[in-house]
Amino acid sequence: MNENKQRYSRRDFAKKAVLISVAAPIAGAPVVASSTILQPSSGGQQLPNLPANFPKLSDQSRVEAEQRHGAILAQYGTRFSNDQKADLRRLCYVLQPSLDKLRSYPIQNGDSPALYLKPTVEREKKPAKAAPVAAPAAKKP
Amino acid sequence: MISEEILYLPISELSKRIETKKISPVDLTKAYLDRSEKLGPRLNAYAKLTPDIALQQATAAEKEIGRGHYRGPLHGIPYAAKDLLAVKGVPCTWGAKPYAQQVFDYDATAIDHLRRVGAVLLGKAAMIELAGGMGYRFASASLQGASKNPWNTKCWTCGSSSGSGAIVAAGLAAFAIGTETWGSIVCPAAYCGVSGLRPTYGRVSRYGAMALSYSMDKIGPLARSAEDCARVFAAIAGHDFNDPSTLPIDKAAFTYSASLELGARPPRIGLLTNAWKKFDFAAEKVYVSAEKTLRKYFPTARATTLPEGPWEDAAGIIIGVEGAAAFRDLIRSGKVAELTDPLSQIAGYVNEQIAGADYVRALQVRGILQRRMTELFDNFDVIVAASQPIAATPLEANLETDIVFPDPLGAIGNLCGLPALSVPCGLTDKNLPVGMQFLARAGNDAAVIQAARTFQQHTDWHRRRPKLV
Repeated sequence: MNENKQRYSRRDFAKKAVLISVAAPIAGAPVVASSTILQPSSGGQQLPNLPANFPKLSDQSRVEAEQRHGAILAQYGTRFSNDQKADLRRLCYVLQPSLDKLRSYPIQNGDSPALYLKPTVEREKKPAKAAPVAAPAAKKP
Repeated sequence: MISEEILYLPISELSKRIETKKISPVDLTKAYLDRSEKLGPRLNAYAKLTPDIALQQATAAEKEIGRGHYRGPLHGIPYAAKDLLAVKGVPCTWGAKPYAQQVFDYDATAIDHLRRVGAVLLGKAAMIELAGGMGYRFASASLQGASKNPWNTKCWTCGSSSGSGAIVAAGLAAFAIGTETWGSIVCPAAYCGVSGLRPTYGRVSRYGAMALSYSMDKIGPLARSAEDCARVFAAIAGHDFNDPSTLPIDKAAFTYSASLELGARPPRIGLLTNAWKKFDFAAEKVYVSAEKTLRKYFPTARATTLPEGPWEDAAGIIIGVEGAAAFRDLIRSGKVAELTDPLSQIAGYVNEQIAGADYVRALQVRGILQRRMTELFDNFDVIVAASQPIAATPLEANLETDIVFPDPLGAIGNLCGLPALSVPCGLTDKNLPVGMQFLARAGNDAAVIQAARTFQQHTDWHRRRPKLV
């Protein structure tokens, strides 16, 4: 069991539902600033250090977490206090290990999603109306 | 005068006395109402008592039984329903301030089924806001505040069916209806020392119930014994035209008869060795002892393991996305800020950002897991583990930082829609209950009932009750 999984897992689903672990107030980075600063290390820039209680992520995953945080602030930023913005950033990081694990799990193209959908059918069949007799239609391409 | 002893009787005993007119449904209802009015507020157990409905239904039951029209084992039996099930004309708050004034003009199917068999609705049970669908950090994440555990009122009942657990444990009703998306029946049952059945997904209609996760929500009973759970389950199970996710008629319906079990083949039991990676010493001591007892009555039981994989991650993603979709208007309008818990106020924004491709991938992982579990159930009818690796936690605990442990079994059971039944299996040195859970293949609810009932026939933990002053 790796560290991320331990942090992720919770006693009941609410605690497990994506959002967990660590609580350390940190300054919320503005969207533009965070996406500008954080580039994958292949770009040659050093990523800033994160609080120790953030999950350890690859550079690419960190960028994704920051982008997620940025997207939230771009859409709803005026709603949050600075503490909430910081907490949102942490939550964006906490979510990332689950996404990374799911994406790395071997899936074949033919592995259908287990989404059960039962089409709605009529409860009682109404008598079918006689099809209108149509004039021979002109052939269409 | 109805004594506390009577109020703690299982449905199987109460129903005999009601059928033979030794107990009046009206007297029984009044006694539960009195106790609920007295103890309910101390435990934050109820969202609302419905004495008018209760007395009307109890009176009707008494008259019918008096005329010789006995409807069955739930006739005249008082119960509470989690406050996410619609009852016509009664506030249905979903435990959350933004819905505090919400009233529906129809009954949920589960409520309707219980009315038809003559059960008596005492009130709506308190719950975690939105059943925890927006995440929560503290037990107090509810309109009613933290539900207090009758075994120790400084401890929590667990959530999200928090009031349902407290009500049954405190003898405020004969049974209660709860719901589970991940852990919300099994955990309160374990913490509160009662029996709780999470039925197979699709066996109980969710029409009229708050939706949190369309592909994972289930409705089930908390009661005094596995047999009581079976009797309630038999009343609420069944196909429903109003809920397209219910199973077909022949797969959804459930009929329970204690005598049917006598001729049944003993279930093949698998004892899970990797359900919990971290185990609290006190809870483990209790569970190990209970497992020894179980082995006596299932001598062919043998150890087995759950498949390894990202099951918790998949379950979390699915619930997160479906919850964000279910409450999208709440999130987008900003009213989510009215929720009580600091995590509930913001978590939905994060879940809303999860990509569709990741959601579908989680569903693909679910499909793989279903095949793995089918293979496991080729060798076992029932798998068994502790319901939780700990006993009830302090009311003020931070659930994010103080209580963190992996729960692959909860993830697997709920991802695959498997039935589970948690029963009390002992008490810690601090007099807190510990639970044992039984799981089976989807649709094989009868197997978990049979196994749990066998355990309870040879133990008396389900008859223990807290000392409430």
